[in-house]
Amino acid sequence: MRTFIRRVLDRLFTSIAGLSILLMAAALVLVLGPIIVKGASAVFFCGTVEFRRMQVHEFNSGDTEAVKAETQRCQEARKPAWELIELFSRGIDTDRLEGQVKDAIREYDKQMRNRVEAGSLGAQEARNLRAKARRLRDFMLDALETTDKATALRRLKDVLDSPDRAALQATAGEELFRLAEQYKATVETVDLTRRDDYAAALAETRTLLTRLLGPAPGSAPKAALAQFRYGATRWDQALKLRDELLWREKYVPDQPGKPLKKTRVRRADEFANTKLAALFPMIDQRLEKMLNPRSTFYWRFFTDDSTPGHFFGGVGPEAIGTLMLTAIAMLLAVPVGVMTAAYLIECMRESLALRVLRTCINTLAGVPSIVFGLFGLAFFVLWLLPKLSLSNGPSALAGAMTLGMLVLPIIIRASEEALRAVPPSYREASLALGAGGLRTFVKVSLPAAMPGILTGIILAMSRAAGETAPILFTAAVAVGPWPGSPLKPCRALSYASYDMAVSDKLAAQVPHNQAGMVLTLVVLVLLLNIVAIVIRSRLTRKLRGT
Amino acid sequence: MAAATDFDRPLLLTPGQDMLGWITLRVGLTLLQFVALTCVLSVLFIFIFIVKEALPFFTSGQVGEMFSSAEWYPTSDPAAFGVWAMILGSVYVTVGAMVIAVPLGLLAAVFLSDIVPFGIRQVVKPVIELLAAIPSVAYGFFAVLVFAPWLQDNLGVDSGKNILNCSIILAVMAVPTIVSISEDALSAAGRDLREGAYALGATRAEALCMVVIPAAGGGILSGVILGMMRAIGETMLVWMASGNANQIPHPWYDITQSVRTMTATIAGEMGETAKNTTHYHALFAIGLVLLAITFGLNLTSEALMTRGRGRPGTARRKA
Amino acid sequence: MPIEVPNTSEPEDKRLSLPRPVALGAVGNGQSLADHGQAIIRSRGFCLCYGDQVGVKNIDMEVYPRSVTSIIGPSGCGKSTFLRSINRMNDLVPNARAEGVLEVNGQDVYDKRVNLVNLRQQVGMVFQRPNPFPKSIFDNVAYGPRVQGIRRAARLAEIVERCLQHAALWAEVKDDLRKSALALSGGQQQRLCIARALATEPKVLLMDEPCSALDPVATARIEELIARLKNDYTIVIVTHNMQQAARVSDRTAFFCLGELIECGLTRDMFTTPQKRQTEDYITGRFG
Ligand SMILES: Nc1ncnc2c1ncn2[C@@H]1O[C@H](COP(=O)(O)OP(=O)(O)O)[C@@H](O)[C@H]1O
Ligand SMILES: [Mg+2]
Repeated sequence: MRTFIRRVLDRLFTSIAGLSILLMAAALVLVLGPIIVKGASAVFFCGTVEFRRMQVHEFNSGDTEAVKAETQRCQEARKPAWELIELFSRGIDTDRLEGQVKDAIREYDKQMRNRVEAGSLGAQEARNLRAKARRLRDFMLDALETTDKATALRRLKDVLDSPDRAALQATAGEELFRLAEQYKATVETVDLTRRDDYAAALAETRTLLTRLLGPAPGSAPKAALAQFRYGATRWDQALKLRDELLWREKYVPDQPGKPLKKTRVRRADEFANTKLAALFPMIDQRLEKMLNPRSTFYWRFFTDDSTPGHFFGGVGPEAIGTLMLTAIAMLLAVPVGVMTAAYLIECMRESLALRVLRTCINTLAGVPSIVFGLFGLAFFVLWLLPKLSLSNGPSALAGAMTLGMLVLPIIIRASEEALRAVPPSYREASLALGAGGLRTFVKVSLPAAMPGILTGIILAMSRAAGETAPILFTAAVAVGPWPGSPLKPCRALSYASYDMAVSDKLAAQVPHNQAGMVLTLVVLVLLLNIVAIVIRSRLTRKLRGT
Repeated sequence: MAAATDFDRPLLLTPGQDMLGWITLRVGLTLLQFVALTCVLSVLFIFIFIVKEALPFFTSGQVGEMFSSAEWYPTSDPAAFGVWAMILGSVYVTVGAMVIAVPLGLLAAVFLSDIVPFGIRQVVKPVIELLAAIPSVAYGFFAVLVFAPWLQDNLGVDSGKNILNCSIILAVMAVPTIVSISEDALSAAGRDLREGAYALGATRAEALCMVVIPAAGGGILSGVILGMMRAIGETMLVWMASGNANQIPHPWYDITQSVRTMTATIAGEMGETAKNTTHYHALFAIGLVLLAITFGLNLTSEALMTRGRGRPGTARRKA
Repeated sequence: MPIEVPNTSEPEDKRLSLPRPVALGAVGNGQSLADHGQAIIRSRGFCLCYGDQVGVKNIDMEVYPRSVTSIIGPSGCGKSTFLRSINRMNDLVPNARAEGVLEVNGQDVYDKRVNLVNLRQQVGMVFQRPNPFPKSIFDNVAYGPRVQGIRRAARLAEIVERCLQHAALWAEVKDDLRKSALALSGGQQQRLCIARALATEPKVLLMDEPCSALDPVATARIEELIARLKNDYTIVIVTHNMQQAARVSDRTAFFCLGELIECGLTRDMFTTPQKRQTEDYITGRFG
């Protein structure tokens, strides 16, 4: 019995241990999975014509002519949709109509004044004409304001059949009659009592359609922010918007005391019996024609700059910034690290100095990265660089030096270990052939230790590339120009990942770009690590002679 | 002498060669010494500059409240600089992470060193070490954008950015370090030890729990300490996922509340602080506290390492 | 980095509890001992200790040019120690110290002013385990000449070919000189190491159990090689193997417990040993 329990316990132990490994694997998949899946969609996705148009306009990439032609075709397909909106809004969007009416009369006034000045019209007569026009305008405004069909038609009739109509012929005032006729046509088909509802729904529909297809052709001046200049650039986005366009989410009371219940209603139903109802099936069926989705491999994600908030574009400046920071850090840390390791191995014997040096290396390895950041701020940014009058304030150089200090222990330890592992027989053979200490080190020990040293260097690189805290106050900025001078602060993948995930509200609208940024960083770091592993195994094999 | 004619190169150095050799050696050694001194200087400068910048805070008279109060209102008037809640916050997330990571890491290490075939171990271990290389900001990204909303939706907590979230993700981050170093220590504990235990009729679980793990205790403990140092010093993840609420959880066991840690405070506030204000110096004082804690832990781990059974220097490197 | 081995001419070290060698008087000042024929290596009262542990003590021995001298003896008796003392390879061992006289070509090698580079170039060494560099075959052999400053490719190629031919390896490797030396078999590697040592044009070749890691066929080839090399070089070979000593060497020295027991012509030694210990060892009744 006892042995049985012992055996069961043993099995249990084994399986729990195995489970822990599985748990780690699961954690890895869970953490990396969403980042990889979402991040990859920043590069591989189904791009619409809007995406290609955006690339041409914002990043000057792509075949301009082909994109123009494609845009033309798509605009053609969208035309009926915009026309429907336009037609319907004439009756509903009375604010706009009112504006147009007032503009027409104002223009008319101006014309009359000009004629008086030119002497072709008497002042008194002009005053009469303008009063007449204003009266007509007021009728028209009344017609627009009322929700009673009969009143509206009566007022319109007043305008259209007015005896003054002839007086306004061939002036800017003629516009008034055109508008009145248009409006009359609408009033006859639309239920005016529901006009306010229609107006709200129409505004929403129009916004959604603009987000889906981009600004209507010929409308409004160019938007200041890039994200308002284009419709849905990605097909998945477009489908989501289409869904939003076809269905409206509504919260309705379910049971008393319970929270409101979410339901979806057809937007088409809101426009039932109007001409606009035709828009929705059209969008549903012809969206592909309108946007022309095509699967896209957006490799320029890694080289393109981005528009504000990383809404469009890629991670180019961040990637370059990170590479610059890492390269400078390595340039500083590698010689120092390898030489320190050489000194430790080749020149030092057990002594107090050795112990002190070792403790220092271990201490340096244990300093939290944020403390490195503080130190970099206090020492490099505020003290050393200003003292050398190189820069005032954060700079890539300061960040790189901080990172260099951070990775120094990694390089020293790896190099030390690699040098220690060089068989003493190599050194003996070299010395026995009459080579000096330095030559033996450079020609024999160093090459033999190279796999280990290189591995250490690459691991250090990956660490430097991934660290954020040390560059927070020393080097990184969220917005700025392309990285150039090391004496200026620069953008970096790690910091941008943080910024996009937490503080940038605009970036929250483009989760694929958020994840794309992080994924670029993770891939860079993992790639470096894998390169390290490959180099280690290949060089080791080469040293073994196979 | 006939033999003497055989040697065509003089066996004695000329005085010039002698001098030159001596000078080169001295110059080379001095150069190397200077380079090696960089490390020592770095550590010295870190301590000097952090202390120097923190000093005005210690002489400002507000240091008394630093460890006794939880009130941190650095910009109001009068300002308050109590870091007690932040220290507790750091302790909360670190302890939480360790509670998850230590058993997990230890079991995984045992599994790798004693249960799976050697070939699998050779593949799995580098993969685990690869995990340690993933930048913390990526973990933070996951914690904020995926895990926190999930917690909010599924556990019904007020904010997904809380101790629980932080601890779990920190644990995932610290596990690779623990596994790697513990596995080294367990492997270094030697075959004969295990065989001895098996010879006495112990099952594998008994041999591991009663003989091998105690024997590798020093190495394992220092692995745990290094994992802990990683958790305490971690900045980006806790800044993103802890919620940054300067409060002491109440009741104390409610880990679904937000806290704020020392590292996150420095990261979050240093950017907006004018230099040479009390606030600025207070942040450096927090940095000094952090530095002191990790320095102490480092010395402990070093002592454990040299005292422990494992060969010094074998396990440490992976940190 | 080699450490200074204390010079024997310095005041005596109190820690050293060795018997003072008799003929120590003038040693270390580059002054030659009385000339005994044509010995190329000669030691008088030579001692070498590793810290407190004695490696060899009180060695009086001669090696004559263009001959093979073998050193035999049980393990740990200081054969390697003595061999490595000749080209000062023991400088690499921390706290190794030498005393007494060890002359090469009439020059005390433990003189402070000895040019180690020239000494080691002219007193080559082959180690117990083949230790080619992890480089190509060509680079291995060319290492020594390059150290001496020979850069011209044609000259290097000529040296490499000559040395490989000398070491009887040329025929086997001439087609892939760029191959890694580590890809060769053990015996080939050892011959490569010999070729590498020959490339510095040494006058003396020290071989520390060059065949102990090799199979009989490879051993036979090395022995052939030694027989040929002795026409041009002075060879000192340490061996475990009595038959080998008998086969290849002209003179034999027998070491035991750090001391030289007997040294003489090989054929005399194996037929009529002077000392009881030698006889026991040779006949296998040792210990
Ligand atoms: N590097 C060393 N450090 C300390 N002692 C050594 C060293 N090399 C050899 N010895 C000691 O010197 C003695 C002679 O060794 P060695 O010359 O290698 O013997 P062998 O005759 O087997 O070659 C041995 O007792 C050995 O323990
Ligand atoms: Mg030996």
